[in-house]
Formats: sequence, C-alpha cells, structure tokens
Amino acid sequence: MRIDRRWRRGWPWAGLVLFLLVPLVQPEGFYLDLLMFTFMYAAMSVGWDIMGGYAGYVSLGHVGFFGLGSYAAALLLVHLGLPVFLTAPLVGVMASILGAGLGFISLRTRGPAFVIVTLTFTYVAQLLMLDLKSVTGGSKGLFLPLLDLPANLVIVPFYYAMLALLVIAVLVSVAIRRSKFGLGLIAIREDEGKAEASGVNTSLYKILAFAISVWFAGTAGALHAQYLNYVDPDLAFELIITLNLIIMSLFGSRGIVWGPVLGAFIIYPLSAYLIFLLPSRLAGQVHLVALGIVLVLVVMFLPDGLIRSYQAWRRKGPIDRRPVEARASIVEAAG
Amino acid sequence: MTDDLAIHSVAKSFGGITALSDCSLEVRAGSITALIGPNGSGKTTLFNCVTGFYRPEQGDMRFGDAVLVGLRPNEVVHLGIARTFQVTRIFKNMTVLENMIVPIRQLGLRTLFTAGIKGHERQRAEELLEFFGIAFLRDELAGRLSFGQQKLLELAAALMAEPKLLMLDEPAGGLNPVMIDRLTAYIRELNAGGMTFLIIEHNMGFVMQLCEPVLVMHRGRVIARGTPDAVRANPAVLDAYLGD
Repeated sequence: MRIDRRWRRGWPWAGLVLFLLVPLVQPEGFYLDLLMFTFMYAAMSVGWDIMGGYAGYVSLGHVGFFGLGSYAAALLLVHLGLPVFLTAPLVGVMASILGAGLGFISLRTRGPAFVIVTLTFTYVAQLLMLDLKSVTGGSKGLFLPLLDLPANLVIVPFYYAMLALLVIAVLVSVAIRRSKFGLGLIAIREDEGKAEASGVNTSLYKILAFAISVWFAGTAGALHAQYLNYVDPDLAFELIITLNLIIMSLFGSRGIVWGPVLGAFIIYPLSAYLIFLLPSRLAGQVHLVALGIVLVLVVMFLPDGLIRSYQAWRRKGPIDRRPVEARASIVEAAG
Repeated sequence: MTDDLAIHSVAKSFGGITALSDCSLEVRAGSITALIGPNGSGKTTLFNCVTGFYRPEQGDMRFGDAVLVGLRPNEVVHLGIARTFQVTRIFKNMTVLENMIVPIRQLGLRTLFTAGIKGHERQRAEELLEFFGIAFLRDELAGRLSFGQQKLLELAAALMAEPKLLMLDEPAGGLNPVMIDRLTAYIRELNAGGMTFLIIEHNMGFVMQLCEPVLVMHRGRVIARGTPDAVRANPAVLDAYLGD
C-alpha cells in the first residue's frame, strides 16, 4: 500500500527528471521535436481541461488565444526587440485578460451557444490578423529574427520552456482540483443552477477558470511563433489545434489532472508518426480523417476516457454503462 | 430587526400566464410555515423569486432589512436563505462529502484557493451527515445513493450554508412513512435550535402535524393563513382544492 502511494506520488517527478535529461543525451532530432510538441499540447490540454473538464464548458476558442499569443509575441519581438522567452508569460497574461473579457460576455451562454461564441472569437481574431496588414503583414505573415544559437541546439531552450509550461499546467491543475475553486467548478459542471443555489458565484468562477485556462494557450502560442520564426493567420489559428486539445482531454479523461497529459502523450506522437509515415501530399488529409475517427471512437466506446475507465474497471470490473438511476443502489435505503 | 421574510405585492408572469399576482405573505423568524395550494398555484414560482432564480416584475421582498429583489441566487444564500428543490438536485458525480462542502460560504477570492476540504469543515459535514444518519456514505458518489438518502443529503448540504431560513420544496415527496417521521423529527430539532422553515408540501398529514402557520396559495396569491385547523375549515381553501 505504502509502495503504491510512493509510486503514485513519485512517478511524475521521476518522469520530469527523465525529460530534463533527454536533451543532454540527444540535443536535436525528431524525437526531441516530438517531445517538445507533446509537452506543448499536453500543457494546453491541461489548460483547456480547467474550463472544459472541471467546469464542463467546451471551448473552441483556445486556438484563438494561441494565435493571438503568437502574434503578440512576434510583434513585441519585431517592433520592440523584446525576447519571446521573456514576453511569453506576459503574453499569456494578456490572453488571460482578454479571456476574462470574452468570458464575461460568452459565459452568459451555456452549452452549444458557448461553443459557437468561442468559435466565432477564433475566426474574428484570425480575420483581424489577416486584415491588419500594416501591423501583421496580412496573409504573408511575420518573420521573426532567429535565435542566436547553433542550428542544432536551437530546439533545446524551447524544449525546456514547453516542459516548464507543462509542469506549471499540472501544478496549477492540481492546486485547482484540491481547492474550493475546483470543487465549485465541478459543481458548475454537474448542475450550474444547483451550484448557484449553494452559494457558488458561478460567473466569477467561470470567468476566472477561463482566464487561467487560456493563459497556457497564449503562452504556448508565443513560444511556438518563435520556434517556427514565423507566424501567419492560417498557421496560428488552425482549428485543428483546438480539436487536438479536446480529443486529447477526452481520450485521457476529462476533469482529471493527468487525463489530458496522458491523452497528449498518446495522441500527439501517434499523429506525428502517422504524418511522418505518409507521403506529404496525403499526410494532412489522412491525419484529419484519423483524428475524426479517433474522436468518434472515443465518444462511442470510451466516453469516460482512459483513466476513468481504468479506475472503474479496477474498482468494479467492467464499466456499468446504464444511467445512474438504473443501477442497483450500493446501500439499502436508510430508515 | 428579526429575520422575517416579508413579501409584498409580488407579480410574475410567463408570457400570457400569470404565476404570481399581488402575492403577499410573511414568514416569521423561528416559525415552521407551510405553503400549500393546488398544483399551479404559484408556490414554486414564489420560491424561485425569493431565491433569485426569477426576478419578479413588481413587488417587494425583504429578509430582515435586506432587499431580495435583484439578487442572484448565490447572494441570497449569503444572506442566510437556503433552499431545496422539488426534484432533488445533488451533484451526482461528486462524493457525499464534496456535496456537503460546496455550499460552504466563500469570502472573497483568497478563500477560493484554500484547501477543498478543511479539517473543521469536514467535522461539521460529518456531524450533519451523522445527524441525518448517512455519515457512513461520506465517500460514495452521491448519484449512487437511494432516493431517500439523496433527499437527506440535499437537506444536510443546505444546512452547511448555516441558513437562518430554510425553504424546502416538497421535502416529503416520495418518502416512505418511516423516512417522513425521521424528517419531521429533524426539522423540529433544527427549528428548536432557532432555524426558520418555509415548506411547500402536498402531504397534508406532514403539514398538519409539523407546521404553523399554514399559508394557502391559489392562482398566484395567498388566500388563507392560519393554524392547520383553521385552514382546514376555511371554505375558500376547500374551494381552491375542490372547486373549478
């Protein structure tokens, strides 16, 4: 039992140490790139899950914040010479402030309406970047100065930055889950009206959760722009980024700290490997189809995600898929 | 100023349907007041107005000195008014203990990020669960409890907010006679401790043995008020239940 608990507490730290050592052994190449993007998606998925998993509000707007983060960091670098590694967290804060503003409006809506509002935000942000040609370069995009590092080592700082982002995401998610804020968000997901009747300030909770959630997207977007040394409206606002976050969270298990991390660590490497294997003219389309199939399969056969399904299986054998009301009560009626 | 609930000339309609019209009533602090009336008479709408779920189109509602009109449900809870729902509402995928912790009053942003369940909160929750005889279920998912247990959990959780006035919407609905007796005893004990109750109920046996005064609503307004015996003998009440 004690060993089990020690293992459960120790494995994330062991994993972290391992990942810290990887660039020392292999400072370049496909696998480092793969890990870096996996960290990025994992961090953003954990961020997305604060809103989508804990509070139950599915956002399609995270890529909007990712894109705006990319542009903000690029402009700060190009016009003011501020290095992205310095501005990325601040760009994240800008995303959070914008997120709070958008949340103030959009979180008055629920369900599909909220999804549509966040999707609309993404397209508006994309159009804005496309149309503000004098500032953003329009469809031509912006080129960012290269980092002053040997070409084969350029990835290393990004690798550590994305790893740091993931560590922060997990720590924030754990802190939220263990706090009254986290309990309130889950209560909102379960029954928002009841949560309000229980004294939870649902508007404040949702706006705060959304602001925290998009910080990771904004910060990741900033780092991503510098890594590619380029940003344009198609690249920065690619809807597939948000879809990836959703699929990763669903696949791993929504509303569980490690769910999105697990989802990202499975889905992203598989996606990258698929793209690597396929001829380039097919890779994009086949990858999209594969993601669509994964989404459908997860929703149909693994709606609770891997971790929850495993937990249920370990506790009670196969998952009871009947509605709660139809299951036998575990305890006889009191009285 | 005592914590009386005073409702004056409240009106609420939905489209062309008038749910409340010139509705006035008073719930004295320390009482167990019943609110009865035929289906559709406006009882639950009144509950929803008082607790901030609906905003009345006119009228005044006060709890002690505080004006209730325009407040959000969470703000009403913080004034000391808690409620349960006609159809039991609990957080089914949260544990019984977590259900108990959610209604704890949050003070400002700082407390948001304090521990989910603190020691003294757990102790208070355990005491209440013990009081209602469901402490042994503390770590179970609330959705797996039986119907009666869910009712008790909803009631116990409402008490975590330490309300001065507890509004119960059909608390005895669907409960067996043994559970109803237990519920009656709980309400009496809590009332003896100073808590005020406003109870909507169709089970007349439950109402008549527990509540005084009894208020009767019909077509969106209060048509009678008095002791259970007086209300039972009131021709207007008989008319409301048996008439057109």
